[in-house]
Amino acid sequence: MAKVTIKVNGKNQTRNVEDRTLLADFLRDELGLTGTHVGCDTSQCGCCTVHVNGRAVKSCSMLAVQANGAQVLTIEGLAKNGKLHPVQRAFSECHGLQCGFCTPGMIMATVGLLKDKPNPSEDDIIHGLEGNLCRCTGYINIVKAVKMGAKLMRGKGKRR
Amino acid sequence: MADTHASHTGHRVEDLRLVTGAGKYAADWSLPGQLYAHFVRSDRAHAEIVSVDVEKARSHPGVKRVYTGEDALRAGYDKFFVIVNWPGRGGQHIRKPARPALAAGRVRHVGDAVAMVVADSAAAAQDAAELVAVEYRDLPAVVVAEDALAEGAPQLRADVPGNLAFDYEAGNEEAVKAAFAGAAHVTRLKLEVSRVAPNPLELRGCTVQYDAKDETYHLYVCIQGINMLRKQMAFATDVPEERIVVHAQDVGGSFGQRSAAYPEYCVLMLASKELGKPVRWISSRAEGFASDTHGRANTVAGELALDAEGKFLALRLDWIADMGAYLTATGSASHTRNPATCLTGVYRIPALYGRFRLAFTNTVPVAAYRGAGRPDVAYVIERVVSQAAAELNIDPAELRRRNFIPPEAFPYKTPTGSTYENADMPRILEKALKLADWKGFAKRRAQSEKAGRLRGIGISTVIENTGAGLFPKDQITIECGRDGIVTVHTVAHSSGQGHETTFAMVVADTLGIPLEKVRLREGVPGKGLIGNHTGGSRSLVGAGSVCKLAARQLVEHGKSVAAEPLGVEPSQVEYAHGVFRTRGSKRKLSLADLARERPLTVTTEASVGSTFPNGCHISEVEIDPQTGVASIVAYNAVDDAGNVVNHAVVEGQVHGAVTQGAGQIFCEKVVYDHDTGQLLTGSFMDYCMPRAGMLRDLRIEDHPVPSGNNSLGAKGVGESGCTASLPSLANAMMDALRPLGVAHLDMPYTPAAVWHAIQSVKK
Repeated sequence: MAKVTIKVNGKNQTRNVEDRTLLADFLRDELGLTGTHVGCDTSQCGCCTVHVNGRAVKSCSMLAVQANGAQVLTIEGLAKNGKLHPVQRAFSECHGLQCGFCTPGMIMATVGLLKDKPNPSEDDIIHGLEGNLCRCTGYINIVKAVKMGAKLMRGKGKRR
Repeated sequence: MADTHASHTGHRVEDLRLVTGAGKYAADWSLPGQLYAHFVRSDRAHAEIVSVDVEKARSHPGVKRVYTGEDALRAGYDKFFVIVNWPGRGGQHIRKPARPALAAGRVRHVGDAVAMVVADSAAAAQDAAELVAVEYRDLPAVVVAEDALAEGAPQLRADVPGNLAFDYEAGNEEAVKAAFAGAAHVTRLKLEVSRVAPNPLELRGCTVQYDAKDETYHLYVCIQGINMLRKQMAFATDVPEERIVVHAQDVGGSFGQRSAAYPEYCVLMLASKELGKPVRWISSRAEGFASDTHGRANTVAGELALDAEGKFLALRLDWIADMGAYLTATGSASHTRNPATCLTGVYRIPALYGRFRLAFTNTVPVAAYRGAGRPDVAYVIERVVSQAAAELNIDPAELRRRNFIPPEAFPYKTPTGSTYENADMPRILEKALKLADWKGFAKRRAQSEKAGRLRGIGISTVIENTGAGLFPKDQITIECGRDGIVTVHTVAHSSGQGHETTFAMVVADTLGIPLEKVRLREGVPGKGLIGNHTGGSRSLVGAGSVCKLAARQLVEHGKSVAAEPLGVEPSQVEYAHGVFRTRGSKRKLSLADLARERPLTVTTEASVGSTFPNGCHISEVEIDPQTGVASIVAYNAVDDAGNVVNHAVVEGQVHGAVTQGAGQIFCEKVVYDHDTGQLLTGSFMDYCMPRAGMLRDLRIEDHPVPSGNNSLGAKGVGESGCTASLPSLANAMMDALRPLGVAHLDMPYTPAAVWHAIQSVKK
């Protein structure tokens, strides 16, 4: 067992966990943050993507103890004061989700992608989402949503 | 349906919770005191179970109980519901051998569940499962259906001679034989419709809580609709349907794979009752590949007879379906009745005959997968038609045009006994040819050639039946409560189709009230509604159209209730836009105000008939002959889904289905080792899923010919994209490869397969 303290969505969370506990399971089982989904066992699907210290990470491929002392942002912490993040808005607006299971991971991966490339080309987006699987949408509307999210985020930057 | 702004944008009602992580899927239910189950699965394809030693596992810390096949047999859990109840060839019935919910005596596929460990944590259950020692005596395995039917094949069970589960036929064998004898030309193709894994991204899972007080089992599970699952669970366990309560909110994709009563659920029921606590099991993806039902898995020889003018005379299919190790509820129906219903495709073919042989093999059981046999039959017909066009040097669009069932011939009774309601193939074809710039293809091909790439164009013109369901009718309850909110209850359960938006639009439109005043509730326990699950592209056709009828009935009921406060006879009450008024006077009462005093509830039902969505998809591919890598460079879809309620949702369905088709054509395939029966594609590392960029653009036009079989005029759209894309893309690949001398190549067109095909004709 190990004691870990992780700042999740701005709030410190301390728990005793088994050494083998994955960050994804820590978020889901210990904190009840079930918006982080698990869709595979081999880190291909990307459903569990969260941000650790500002970088998009697949939380199934990291131990909770490795995140000790880190800042973690999950899908539940993305909207601020009841206002959707532009990428959340864009996914909905572009019908970039159907069953919604891959969506939290897709959105967190997209927000990570846009940090590196605020104005991504279509190829950048396709490359950037290689680690995220979706079975419903056929991805066309997801790519559209990423473009729109990028546009909204750039627009917001300019206005203020 | 008003063509409102809402029908063209996303912003679905369900989106807010799904983009914020507030969705609730099977693994998100957490019940107080719950125990955790882990399954021990067979690591071999075919073996006798000599012994199962659970002692070590039982004494592992935290373990409550270990279940084996003996427990399943003692409970009588060895039978599963199968839809097929009609006779096959020569009056023979389908063979439904026993299937213990945990394997007893013999394992028949890699992944067959042998034991279940229940412990107080998931980790303890998993650790203990590794301590279960199973001794096997290996038996020879067979993983290819044709091999399984051959003489001398390993036999999966004594009560199914020759591994033949069902022998079914449709059409007129003699008439077809005569037509072939007089044909000017015959085209033959033997095709593989490969075995694929549906892979909804949500992992399969179920938590069972037995309530001793009411002797009721509560299942928290991923489903396509509560009734279908309850009916099957009751069949499997002999627990009365009313004692099985199914709970589900969000479902992370289904594609036919979530409709079954899986054996795991039965054993969870057993454990929850015995241990007095909720028992939870969430699959891993590796487990999913080895135990969630697979799809397609058909090998079909198709023969088309034509006269000298290129008119089709007869079509004959010899169809071998791989059922896997056990029958599922839907697999056998999907690969007999569904293709038989659409055996004539979109063509007037005087003589048809199909023979369908269903084989048991040492593989994961096969069930419905998006289209459920319809994509398979369309694939065969459309490949054969395009092959015939190539052999006769006729434009494949022209050959289709010559043979379409003319619009005036509808309703069209096909030679296999189905009746197509309506379709307008000639105009759909012309629209698609224009959208795809069919005439400009030669120029585009020349440009590709200049760049060193091969280019091909593929066409498919398809039709499929929707609307079928296990239950004879669909019921909808609509309530208008004291808060003025109109709540709609359905049995059909969304797994991404957006019912909460689309069905609410139907009701809001019918009542003339804002969308936000209507909310949909799916599968609420205790509502007692009869109705079908979501499957077979039927939810809008069935449940959706009854929503409209129910909303109309709510208005009529409201008029009779409003008459008293308005002080007139019900016949004097009119309704529009959420307000009841008296005829010729100024008195009025809003629906919300009426319901505040007198809440309204109506339940309406209808039995919808079959509908026949159809369409034409034209695609173009480019192949790099140096690497064998193929890419889709254009995709055009003209679909007749009947009247459309929500364009964004319909386009989303087409995007998703076409991409699933593209996945099957270019990369997806479940592969078993021929000798050992080991599953070689047991994870996302080995099984290639479509990713972003596989299909970059999709040009869509609709050509609605409303159905008369339901109040919306809808035809359904969930599966037609698979049905049309499989043949369209394969025809494009063959069009690119044929000039090189590649006569035949089966899906999936992986770079390796394409490269080898190109090399093999290079001499």
